[in-house]
Amino acid sequence: MNNFGTIWRRELSASFLSPIAYVTMVVFLGVTNGTFLVAVLRNLGSYEPIAGILFAAIFLWLPILVTVTCMRLFAEEKRSGTIEALLTAPVTELEIVLGKYAAALSFTLLTVAPAVAAIFILERLSPGLRMADVDPGAIAAGCVILALLSAFLTAVGLLVSLLTKNQIVSAIACFCCVCTALMAGWLVSLVPGMPPELIQYISATQHIEEFTRGIVNADPFVLWGSGTVLLLFFAVRVLEARRWL
Amino acid sequence: MIRAENLTKHFGRTVAVDGVSFEVARGEIVGFLGPNGAGKTTTMRILATFLPATAGTAIVAGFDVFRDSLEVRRRIGYLPETVPLYSEMRVSEYLVYRGRLKGLRGKALRQRMEEALDVCGLTTARRSVIGTLSKGFRQRVGLADALIHDPDVLILDEPTLGLDPQQIRQIRTLIKQLGERHTILLSSHILSEVQMICNRVLIIKAGRIVAADTTENLLSLLKGVTRVTVETQAPQDAAAAALRALPGITAVAIRQERDWNIVTCECAQGVDPRLEIFQLMAAKKWPTRELRLERRNLEDVFMEITVASNGANASVNPDENREPFPTIEEHRT
Repeated sequence: MNNFGTIWRRELSASFLSPIAYVTMVVFLGVTNGTFLVAVLRNLGSYEPIAGILFAAIFLWLPILVTVTCMRLFAEEKRSGTIEALLTAPVTELEIVLGKYAAALSFTLLTVAPAVAAIFILERLSPGLRMADVDPGAIAAGCVILALLSAFLTAVGLLVSLLTKNQIVSAIACFCCVCTALMAGWLVSLVPGMPPELIQYISATQHIEEFTRGIVNADPFVLWGSGTVLLLFFAVRVLEARRWL
Repeated sequence: MIRAENLTKHFGRTVAVDGVSFEVARGEIVGFLGPNGAGKTTTMRILATFLPATAGTAIVAGFDVFRDSLEVRRRIGYLPETVPLYSEMRVSEYLVYRGRLKGLRGKALRQRMEEALDVCGLTTARRSVIGTLSKGFRQRVGLADALIHDPDVLILDEPTLGLDPQQIRQIRTLIKQLGERHTILLSSHILSEVQMICNRVLIIKAGRIVAADTTENLLSLLKGVTRVTVETQAPQDAAAAALRALPGITAVAIRQERDWNIVTCECAQGVDPRLEIFQLMAAKKWPTRELRLERRNLEDVFMEITVASNGANASVNPDENREPFPTIEEHRT
């Protein structure tokens, strides 16, 4: 795993060498905090937990952020041909997948972090604002579920990017897959006879709501943790398949 | 250093490489020639472990490219045809990145990077962003990348593709220098270049190796090694009869250009009849203004092997005015 760090560093620095990274960060921060502010103003006087409002705003825009981050991961390398140089270097497929995955996840978390910080800015600037008290535990739990879901969705995006060399196709497919993953609970509920426990277990909105209220349980760790590992395993196998076929 | 046995690669129903076998010994520079779509790049990609073969085996630097692909990749420097580079990086950043991927660290990495920059003439461009470099410099960056870990074997796919004549000369000199320390397999469309650089030539056509030998041996396979062109005002029939009668001349062809007859004489192997032709012209008092010996080159061998039996490959025709020489038999070593 000597090359994991090398690939991670290159991928992350490459993101910041392009203006797309800065535009993405600024736009994401703008739309997320804009949504948050509008939601706060609409809920003035209510007892809606502020952490819930903030994380709802972030999760609303997260699929687009993940799509923009992941669409180029492998698609760009395939288009430009740099994949040939990468795969003929003495690097294992696991190192390539993990290095790229870690870089994409790092970028997503770096972009999301300032959006979360908005809650502290709001608290400082509006001490008399009549809303439910800001619960630090709920914010911490919200950050955990945000990181977990980002990790899972980034793995979805990476696998999709690996399957195409066109960035537009990659972006569209990635967005659809990410949205499907987020709506899995609702989609399964449409199937008659599905047990409610299963629907609750795979429902992203259910887990997000619980965590942002400060209720932490192991279900999303198991669901999205194992999902992430499985998707990364598939990504490694897809990359390796080139050597068998 | 490189041994390919019966390499075969299918893309669906298309057979890109069909039972290719060859060897490259340590320290050799071997040229890989063939028309577009002949299977050069596919073969090189298999040797560089980028593509798996459908059948056959390939051993590079003592390791099987399929079973010990990582070991092979540690020992080869590969320059793909398109020279893929990260255009947003600086030259030195890119080489450091590639060096790290190839297992170099710390002082060894810095030292090897300096050597690669120096050998490839990139010292002044080390701080340049790759995207702003000319094609020639990008090619050099690709070569520096292939060299940075001082590999045993260099696989260079069209290293001079798209370069201007000055850049081609520079890269050619560089490859010659590299050949003193590395085993090199290179593909090229520029036949004179291969003739100048390489010890040996492999000619591939429709996925099969149709010739593999030194350029000298390949040239000697051609019937009529030399051709003599005479520009004279001699009467056509008399000149043809007199020239045919000279020893060593196997065929005579005449065409007229204004007041002059252009007589082309094909000669038997090892025969140079210029003196006899001169004496004939002088004895007959036929006005003559040119007597030129044309030596056959690798281009002729290439054309005979790849074009003579397949008119579809006319894009590599070196000289359309030339009459085709008799074809040589398929030659394998």
